[in-house]
Amino acid sequence: MSTLTQTPTTAVSRPPAGLNWTQIRQIIAIGLVVLGLILALLNGMNWSYLALGALAGLFVWKPFHGILLSYSVISVYPVLRIISISLRPSTGLLSRSLEIIPPGATFQSYVNLFNEEPFLQWIWNSLSITVTVSVIGVAVAATGAYAFSRWRFLGRRPALIFLLTTQMIPAGMLVIPIFVIVAQLGLTNQVIGLILAYISTAVPFSIWILKGYYDTIPPDLEEAAMVDGCNRMEAFWRIILPLSTPALSIVFLFNFLASWSEFIVAKVILQAQTVSTWPLGLNELIGTFQTDWGKYAAGSVLVTVPVLLLFMWQSKYLISGLTLGSVKS
Amino acid sequence: MEGLSGLTGDLVLNTLRQIIPLIIGVIVGVVALEFALYNLLAKVLKVRNALAYTLLAPAAIAILAFMIYPLFFNVLLAFSDLKRDTFSCYSPIARGNCKLDHLYGLDYAINNFSDVFFRVRNGEIVGWGRLLRTEESTFPVLLGRTIIWTVVNVIFHFSGGLALALIMNQRIRFKGIYRALIVIPWALPGVITALTWKQEFHAEYGFVNTLLESIGLQPVSWLRDPVAAFVAVTFVNIWLGIPFYMVMLLGGLQSISAEYYEAAQMDGAGAWDRFRFITMPLLKPILIPAVTLDVIWTFNKLDLIVIMTGGGPEEKTNILVSALYNAAFGTAATQELGFAAAFSIVIFVILFIFAIAWITTSGGLKEIYDR
Repeated sequence: MSTLTQTPTTAVSRPPAGLNWTQIRQIIAIGLVVLGLILALLNGMNWSYLALGALAGLFVWKPFHGILLSYSVISVYPVLRIISISLRPSTGLLSRSLEIIPPGATFQSYVNLFNEEPFLQWIWNSLSITVTVSVIGVAVAATGAYAFSRWRFLGRRPALIFLLTTQMIPAGMLVIPIFVIVAQLGLTNQVIGLILAYISTAVPFSIWILKGYYDTIPPDLEEAAMVDGCNRMEAFWRIILPLSTPALSIVFLFNFLASWSEFIVAKVILQAQTVSTWPLGLNELIGTFQTDWGKYAAGSVLVTVPVLLLFMWQSKYLISGLTLGSVKS
Repeated sequence: MEGLSGLTGDLVLNTLRQIIPLIIGVIVGVVALEFALYNLLAKVLKVRNALAYTLLAPAAIAILAFMIYPLFFNVLLAFSDLKRDTFSCYSPIARGNCKLDHLYGLDYAINNFSDVFFRVRNGEIVGWGRLLRTEESTFPVLLGRTIIWTVVNVIFHFSGGLALALIMNQRIRFKGIYRALIVIPWALPGVITALTWKQEFHAEYGFVNTLLESIGLQPVSWLRDPVAAFVAVTFVNIWLGIPFYMVMLLGGLQSISAEYYEAAQMDGAGAWDRFRFITMPLLKPILIPAVTLDVIWTFNKLDLIVIMTGGGPEEKTNILVSALYNAAFGTAATQELGFAAAFSIVIFVILFIFAIAWITTSGGLKEIYDR
């Protein structure tokens, strides 16, 4: 059902000469495309004029599609640019062209990335930190979230508000004490130091998301099991936990995505850069713009593609969960 | 380069030796703790809701250790004189020659908190305190910039997201494709977004200036000029935030029954009236939590600014949280962590007061804990 009106078709705005608005818009649109084509041909096959003409035409003919298409281009173009730069040959790296498939496209930047930078080492470090944090987050939060979902125990409300408040804490307020604690334990520049730092935010976050998921499982299930002679603990272990496998995997995913591309805490804890995660590594590549742009782009593509696929695949759960269950989907 | 792109067998083994005991330890610990506690509470002490407390225990311990203790420690740090050259005093494993006669004290706290606001000379307040190196970086300037940053971002996020959601809610073809493309900025890893846009705002090689020149405008040296840099960062954050609102609001719009609109149309309500009196009120339950979260996220948006501009040029693109980061860890830092801890508490109090005021007046987030 429409919430915006379509273009008015009342008598006032109807032009004479037997044409209606739709036809007039179509004619203007075709005119704009032709104008774009002529300008393109006059300017020595500069097809960007044709593209502009076509877009203007689309705006006149179907304004909604015009807006959505332009916004889609704005959203996607930077991503296409990274892909394009990663394919540039080293001679054309700093070319100012806006073409998506560069002339002389090559995978040389990918090869250089693997040979000249410890890219796999970055990925390994990131992966081991991320997986550990995600597993621990799930293991610790799984049962706590269930309690929040099913019982109205003393202190439940303040505890939930506290969990929400933790989302408000500026990163600096946690990073400072955690940095000092990790330094006091002598764990800076170590994988394990970063794991400890990440767990602090992973646990409250996991509880939130899991609670939201448990809320959607009907309590009748456990009650039925308890009628059949299970006690509550057995009902939880035998019925709820197996049923929550999808939720547990979603929380795993969330924690994974949150720590996979974390930058600030990693930079603070891994200051010496003897151990590096990929966000730190790629950031270093950016420092030397001239030579390493291709390698940076190649690395970005490699770390982004799996995340994008994961996001597309699980988007329904991810989107409802990224809002911390605050919005009913 | 050693091994396969820096990855050697030794490195892999070394990492596994650290993380596998940790993972197994945590899982075994959680299970053992729950069984022991359940038997104690339910069978020996016969406590009501024993299972609930049992199930909560591991999470409670983790939050106590990894969240509450660091927060408490942060307050303690605000009562300390911890900086780079006193670090050894506070570190049990490296206690060297320490010049401090006491580690924690009210005098340090008074200094740390007053440094956030005031510059004191000979016991007199001579002006606003410098939070970073330049005269520009004072508390009111940073607070003002943070408010502008937050308001501008949230307004653009909201209006852009609402416009797209309203259009997407029409009967329109290729909806799925548009939606998949428009959420891409949201799905990208934040570091990649920040680093890539930093490159694209490069005065010579970035596509932003190439586009500007191709339509006959002057190129801008985006990240060298304070105002242009702030515009650039704001633009990127708006680009990042619109998909979130679009998805949220589209979900809300789709849940509004068409009957309301049909009834209103029969009563002769125009498009604007239908939007004002049906769409907006019915969107409110989704809108208020979305705006609340967005304000908090934008206020605390640290990584984008740190990566894209580092708070510069001339420290003029800092907001409160990035100034805090730079004060504590930035390149220009003297690493006065005691002062930074005090500063972080001030920032949190500001946000917390705002959040409480907003939540109580708007009733936002109520349904979370009432559910």
